[in-house]
Amino acid sequence: MARAELFASSKVKTDEIQPTLQEDFVEALKLAGISIVVLLVAAFFFSAVVGPFFALGSVEETVTDVLTRLALLILPYVAYISAASVARRYTFRATSRALGLAFSCAILIYALISAGHYLLDYGVFAPRPSLQMTLSQTDAGIRIDEVAPGGAAETAGMLPGDVITAIRRDPVDLAAFNKRLGQSELDAPLRLRFLRDGEEMQETARVVLVSDKELGVLLPGLAIVLVFTAIIVFLPGHWAPYIALVGLLFPLLIGYFWVIVATFSYRTKGLVPLDGNDNFGGFTLKNWESIFAGNIAGLEFNIWPILMTSMAIAVLMTFVVLLVSSMAGYALSRMDFPGRRFFLSFTLILHGFPAITLLIPIFIVLLRMGETPIIGDLIGFNTVGGIAMVMVAFQLPLGVWLMKGFFDNIPWDMERSALIDGASRFRAYWEILLPQIRPGLLALGIFAFIGGWNAYIIPATYSIGTGLSNLPVFLNELIDETAPVDWNQVAAVGLFQLIPIFIFFIFAQEYLLNIYAGGTKGSS
Amino acid sequence: MEIRIDNLTKKFGEVVGVEDLTLHIDDGEFVAFLGPSGCGKTTTLLTLAGIYKPTEGLIRFGERIVNQVQPKDRNIGMVFQSYALYPHMTVFQNIAYPLKLKKTPKNLQNESVRQVAGVMGIGDLLDRRPGQLSGGQQQRVALGRALVKEPDVLLFDEPLSNLDARLRLTMRGEIKHLQKNLGITSIYVTHDQVEAMTMADRIAVMSGGRLQAFDTPEELYDRPKTQFVAGFVGNPPMNFIDVNVSQSDGAYTAKTGSIRMTVPAARGAPAAEHAGAVVMGLRPEDIAIASEGEVAGEIFVVEPLGREDLIDVRVGEHSFILLANTESRHRAGERVALQFDMSQVQFFDPQSERSLLWRQ
Ligand SMILES: Nc1ncnc2c1ncn2[C@@H]1O[C@H](COP(=O)(O)OP(=O)(O)O)[C@@H](O)[C@H]1O
Ligand SMILES: [Mg+2]
Repeated sequence: MARAELFASSKVKTDEIQPTLQEDFVEALKLAGISIVVLLVAAFFFSAVVGPFFALGSVEETVTDVLTRLALLILPYVAYISAASVARRYTFRATSRALGLAFSCAILIYALISAGHYLLDYGVFAPRPSLQMTLSQTDAGIRIDEVAPGGAAETAGMLPGDVITAIRRDPVDLAAFNKRLGQSELDAPLRLRFLRDGEEMQETARVVLVSDKELGVLLPGLAIVLVFTAIIVFLPGHWAPYIALVGLLFPLLIGYFWVIVATFSYRTKGLVPLDGNDNFGGFTLKNWESIFAGNIAGLEFNIWPILMTSMAIAVLMTFVVLLVSSMAGYALSRMDFPGRRFFLSFTLILHGFPAITLLIPIFIVLLRMGETPIIGDLIGFNTVGGIAMVMVAFQLPLGVWLMKGFFDNIPWDMERSALIDGASRFRAYWEILLPQIRPGLLALGIFAFIGGWNAYIIPATYSIGTGLSNLPVFLNELIDETAPVDWNQVAAVGLFQLIPIFIFFIFAQEYLLNIYAGGTKGSS
Repeated sequence: MEIRIDNLTKKFGEVVGVEDLTLHIDDGEFVAFLGPSGCGKTTTLLTLAGIYKPTEGLIRFGERIVNQVQPKDRNIGMVFQSYALYPHMTVFQNIAYPLKLKKTPKNLQNESVRQVAGVMGIGDLLDRRPGQLSGGQQQRVALGRALVKEPDVLLFDEPLSNLDARLRLTMRGEIKHLQKNLGITSIYVTHDQVEAMTMADRIAVMSGGRLQAFDTPEELYDRPKTQFVAGFVGNPPMNFIDVNVSQSDGAYTAKTGSIRMTVPAARGAPAAEHAGAVVMGLRPEDIAIASEGEVAGEIFVVEPLGREDLIDVRVGEHSFILLANTESRHRAGERVALQFDMSQVQFFDPQSERSLLWRQ
C-alpha cells in the first residue's frame, strides 16, 4: 500500500511540476554558465597558478600552456552540450520544443562568447598577420583592389591595381600568398614582385597584426554551432561512449592507416599515396617483394632465419617464463620456507631495476658461460638461448609476482580437496590450480611473447658481430645502413613484424573473449 | 574403520590449534566435533585428513599409524564448508575425479558416478558446471564426490552452514540417513549444537584447542562434566548463579541474597561438601512462571520465538532465562513468581569449573 502511494505521489509530481519553457531556458543557461565558469577557472588555474609554479623550478614546460588552451578550446562546446542536455529530455516527446530550446540557448551562448572574443581580441577576432590590403585572383596574378590608408601595404608603396606575381622568387597565387602571410610573424619582411602598368617591380612590405573585427566571420561559426547542437539533441545516449572512444583512438588509427598505405606505395604525402607526378596513385608491391627477395637498397639478407630467431626468442621466453613463474608463484603462495619474505621483497626490487644498467655485467657473464663446454653453445654469448635466458630473467620478477597473486586468490580448500581426493601435490597444481588461473597465464604469456618478439636492446647487445639478429634488430640495421632511408620500405618490414602477432590474436581471440565473458564463472 | 587419536597436539608456530587431544572413535560411528569457532575443530579434522602433520601425538586408522601417511593414501572423503568444487570441471568430472586418480576403468567410473549422483538426487545435473548450481545442489555434488570412492572415513567441516534453514534441516536428515546406511565412520565438525545433538552418536565438545567432553548427546545434556559443556549444550543456554549450599536437618538449601531454594539430597550433598560458594546451573525448561512461588522477580524482556516466548526475569541482580507458553502473554515490567524444578539442578566448582555431581 505504501508502495502504491509512493508511485502515485511521484506521478502527481511529474504532472504538476512540468517545467515551463522559461524555466527550462533558465536551467539550460545556468548549466552552460556553470560549465563556462568552471573551464575559465581551470584555464586561469593552469596559466596563472600552475604555470608560474613550474617556472619557479625553471622547468621548460608547455603542458600548462596546452591545458590552458585546451580548456579555452572546448569551453564553447561544453557550454552547448550542457544547454542541449536539458533539451534532450524533450527530444522524442516534443521535438520542436527540444530544438527550439537548444537553438535559442545556443544562439545566446554563441552571441555571448563572440562578444567576449570581440572585446578581448580572441578567437575569430584574434589579430592576424596582414598587409592591410584587399586582393583578388586574376589570370595575370593577384590584383590589389584596395589599400588601407596608412596600412602596411601603403607604407611599402603598393598601389591599387598592382598585380602581385611572386614573393621573392617563388611564384604565388592567392591561396599560396595567404598561406605564406598567415605563417609570418609580426614585422616579418615580405619582398613582393608585382606588375605595375606592365612593368615588373618589387617592394618589401612588413607584416602587421590586425584584427579586422568583421561580424560576417561569425556566420559560418553560427551554422556549425547549430548543426552541432542539433546533433547533440538527437544523438542516442548509448552512442556517446563510442564517439568518445573513436575520438580518442583517432590519432592512433591514422598512424596504423599510414603504415598500411605506405607499405603499398612508392611514396606518400600525408596519408595520400603519390606517383612520380605528384598525382594520386603509385601503388606497388615492391616494398613487400624486396623483403622476401632479400635485398633492400643493396643491403643483402635472408628474412627467414631472422624470422626464426624472433620466433625462437619469443616462444622460448613465453614457455620458460610461464613455467618458472607459475611454479615459483605457487611456492611463494602456498609454502612456508626460510627466506620467503626476503625473496618476495627482493624480486620486487629486481623488477624495479633498469635493465640497461646490467647490460655490461650480463655481457661478461654470458661471455664466460659461452666458454663453458656444452651449455656454452646453448645459452652463451651470441646464442638464441643466451638472449632468451637474459630476457626471461628480466621478465621473471613480474611473472612470479603476478602468479603468486593469482594463486593467493584460490581458496586453500580447493587444493586440500584435491589432495584428499587422491591427487599428488603436483597433480593438484597441474590439474586443479593451473586451470583456475588460466586468465593470468594467458595474460603473462601474451606479455612474454610480445616482449620477446619485439625485443631489441638485449638481442642487439648480445649478438654483436654475428649474423644472428631478430626482426627489431634487423629493422634498426635497415635504417642505419641504407641512405637515404626508404621509409615506405621500413614500414613494410614493421608491418611484416606485426603479422605473427595478428595471427596469434586472431586464433586466441575466441579464447580470450571466452575467458573474460565468464569462462571462469563459479570459481568463487 | 576405527580411529584412535592419542595426545594429539598441532601448533602453528606459537599458535596452538589443538592440544593434547585423546579420542577413540569406533568403527561406523558418527562423531560430532562441537565448539565455538577458533577452538581447533578444523585443525583436528585436517590433521586427520593428513593435510597437517601432527606436532605431537599419534593417529591410528585401525592398526595403522597414519601420522606420516599422505592424504591420498588415507582413503578418506571430505566435504568442505565452501564445497571446494572444481569450477572448471562439470559435475560429472567433479564426482569422477577421485576415481580418475585411483585409475578406475572408465566404464566403472561412469557407473559409480551415475549411481552416486542418483542417490544424491543430482543425476540430471551431471553436465553442468558448479557455477550453474544452487548452494544445495553444490552441497550434494560435494557429498557425492566424497562418497564415490567408498572411503573408510568421511570428514565433514561445517558442511551445512552456508545453506538456508529449511535446506539445512533436510540435508541434516539425509546425511545422517546416508551415514547409517553406508556405515562409514564419520566425523562431523559444527559449531551448531542442534546439529551435533540431532545427528551424532557421540559428541566431542572442544574449547580453546582442548577436548572438554566426549559423550553421547543425552549424557552431555543430563550430566555435563564441566561448566563449559553445560553452557554450550542446550538452547537457550543454562542459567548460572553463584550460591551457597548448606544443610540443616537433612534438608539442603541453596542461598544467594534473598533467594532460597530447596535442593534434593542427592544433588545437594556433594555441593554442600564444597567449602564456599558454588556455581548452580538450571536449564530454562526447569524454571516456570507461577502465581505462587519460592522466588519473586520482574520480567525484564520478552522475546517471542514463535512457538514459545523467551523470557528474561530479573531477581535482584540475578537474571533467569526461561521459556513460557506464548498464550500466557507476559509483558516486560510484570511482577512474577518463579518455580524451580530442582531435580535437574547442576553444581560446579567455581575455580576448576568441573561438575561437583559427575566426576570424570
Ligand atoms: N594454518 C594456520 N596457521 C596458523 N594458525 C592457524 C592455522 N589454522 C588454524 N589456526 C589457528 O588455530 C586455531 C584453531 O583454528 P580452527 O581449527 O580453524 O578452528 P575452528 O575450525 O574450530 O573454528 C585458531 O586460533 C586459528 O587461528
Ligand atoms: Mg573451522
